Amino acid sequence: MRRRVAVTGMGVVTPIGQTVESFADALRQGRSGAGPITLFDPACLPTRIAAQVPWTGPALRDRKVTFALEAARQALEGSRPPGMGGLSLGIGLELFSLDDLAARERPGFVPPAARTERLTFLQTPSDLCVHLIAKRHDLRAPPLTHVSACAAGTDAIGAGFRLVASGRRDWVLAGGADSMINPLGVAGFARIGATTTANDAPTRASRPFDRRRDGFLLGEGAAFLVLEPLETARARGAYVHAEVAGYGSSFDACGISEPHPEGRGAYQAMSRALAEAEVSPAAIDAVNAHGTSTPKNDPVETLALERLLGARARAVPVSATKSMIGHLISAAGAVEAVAAILGMEGGWVHPTINLDEPDPACGLDYVPHVARRHRQRHVLSNSFAFGGQNAALVLRSADAGG
Amino acid sequence: MDPRPQAADHDPVVVTGAGHVLGAPCDPTPWLKVRKNRKFMGVQDDLAVAAAGQALRAAGLESAALGERAGIYMSVGYVPFEREHLDLLRASSVDAEGRISPLRFSRDAFAALNPLLTFRCLSNMPAFHLSVNFDVQGPYLVSYPGAGQLYLALEEAVEALRTRQVDVALVCGVAHQRNALVEHHFSRLDPPAAAERLLDGAGCLVLEMARHAGERARARLRALEVAYTPAHPFEDTLVADERAWGARLPDGLLGPASLPVLVSLGLGAEIRHQVHTADGVHGVSTWSSA
Repeated sequence: MRRRVAVTGMGVVTPIGQTVESFADALRQGRSGAGPITLFDPACLPTRIAAQVPWTGPALRDRKVTFALEAARQALEGSRPPGMGGLSLGIGLELFSLDDLAARERPGFVPPAARTERLTFLQTPSDLCVHLIAKRHDLRAPPLTHVSACAAGTDAIGAGFRLVASGRRDWVLAGGADSMINPLGVAGFARIGATTTANDAPTRASRPFDRRRDGFLLGEGAAFLVLEPLETARARGAYVHAEVAGYGSSFDACGISEPHPEGRGAYQAMSRALAEAEVSPAAIDAVNAHGTSTPKNDPVETLALERLLGARARAVPVSATKSMIGHLISAAGAVEAVAAILGMEGGWVHPTINLDEPDPACGLDYVPHVARRHRQRHVLSNSFAFGGQNAALVLRSADAGG
Repeated sequence: MDPRPQAADHDPVVVTGAGHVLGAPCDPTPWLKVRKNRKFMGVQDDLAVAAAGQALRAAGLESAALGERAGIYMSVGYVPFEREHLDLLRASSVDAEGRISPLRFSRDAFAALNPLLTFRCLSNMPAFHLSVNFDVQGPYLVSYPGAGQLYLALEEAVEALRTRQVDVALVCGVAHQRNALVEHHFSRLDPPAAAERLLDGAGCLVLEMARHAGERARARLRALEVAYTPAHPFEDTLVADERAWGARLPDGLLGPASLPVLVSLGLGAEIRHQVHTADGVHGVSTWSSA
């Protein structure tokens, strides 16, 4: 028998808030985290803006590991369920350091001897993050490391949900972490024309569903959810933020960098999440969209939502968190799940900022500019990856399911 | 650690096809349905497509419409990057003193950067190429980067079959390891792994429930167990160990490809595989004739 799965802890590090509370405030206010890139000198790269985390604490060489450790700490603070915990983490890949690449070719270079420096020189292997968290928090169930790119954060939560629902784990810390705001990350995305070049107006650059969108804004950060059986949470008197009710994933099996033109894979992932949650499309009260602000994603996601929601499509609020924090790649789905849960808990949907002139091909209610009071019992949260991997979650409010 | 016997003897998980490729380069073109994607494919993509193509052919599903009832559960090795590309990046980014010049990087290296490289080294791209060439539209799990994560992908595949999320599960491991970046990584471990020990390879198993497979069943998953000992990457040292009985693993390190390659090599024999990875994941499985 499947178990209902509660969210009993949350932690976030984002460009607009480094605690759950400050993130919620910023979302409601529609604050942008975008600005000029200061983490390195982008010189004359076509994209010179991003949504950086204003991190002032101690940091490891790889920022995403720092963010992941902090988000995990927050999520588990005061909310550790009983039993053996597991980890399910969506994480970005290790890119290499150009400075290290150059340094090792210079005369007199001595390779680092100490293990910490060795393991972080040139690149920090991303799986290292999983084991640091597992060791720090004594998570003894085998950890899953997801690398499904922009869908990885959602996949990590979905996999964690299923591990708990099926009884294969007592509880799971599930989330995502990424930072690609480095020379190779920014150049790589810019080289394939994926990122915005609106360098003169950073806070206006990420504009999902707007006619003038020109690519995504790169962001960084991390988020984690503590997932445990609802029954266990209630028995120990834990605060229940929400439930994860269903998860679906799919392949477009179509283009490498563009979605299926009819949104087939997106529709399949959402449909599977609804089926697992045992709710109909009529039960969906709001959507946290993938909403990348790229020319190709936004109309196709709209098409898929129109097909899924049918006649109700224009009555369901659709918010794009990326309008404020940019695209956090492997962390995006996890941070956006937290955003959706915060909205359910507070009875509001956050705005899609910068939506001044809706694309005629994007005709839904995207909650432009200003947050709105809106009671939600079920929210759909979407992530669609480069490479046609699609993932969706159905989140249920804590007071919806009896 | 003893593997947990797989329940449901009346309808066990079976292998209907297996394939593997050892060494690069390999030619995936016989399996490509969408030839225009060839330019996007790196070595790990070539290996994965060729291994999966063999496995599906062996399963009698080569020309089947897999569609929504098939899923991909794979683990991909460390991100590859070739020496020539690293050298080009560095040469077009440094100043006269050999230090990185942001201006040169953003102008010269950016122009020299082959945009296709992004596609050729991303870890989710092997899954993309499998989906598009074999029309897989079902669920997936893409894990990273070693033999332990392959075991976790296998567990998810078994669960997906048992819960009827899918009828066909492709369980694939792929590792492109003979390149500068991956060799660098293995050289810094305690103990280090010599570049000569690293192998390029991929393996793929087609798993189905016995009832669905019918007479196509070739082998059976008898038992499976995965466990974990958390280890601090900077402080603890776990020695990796991998063993096989009933079939012989190639001499060298195959990362996430080792188990499916082994099962492919000894398909139908009584096989036991056991791995303790340096990152603390322990996996053990037994396989037999159907």
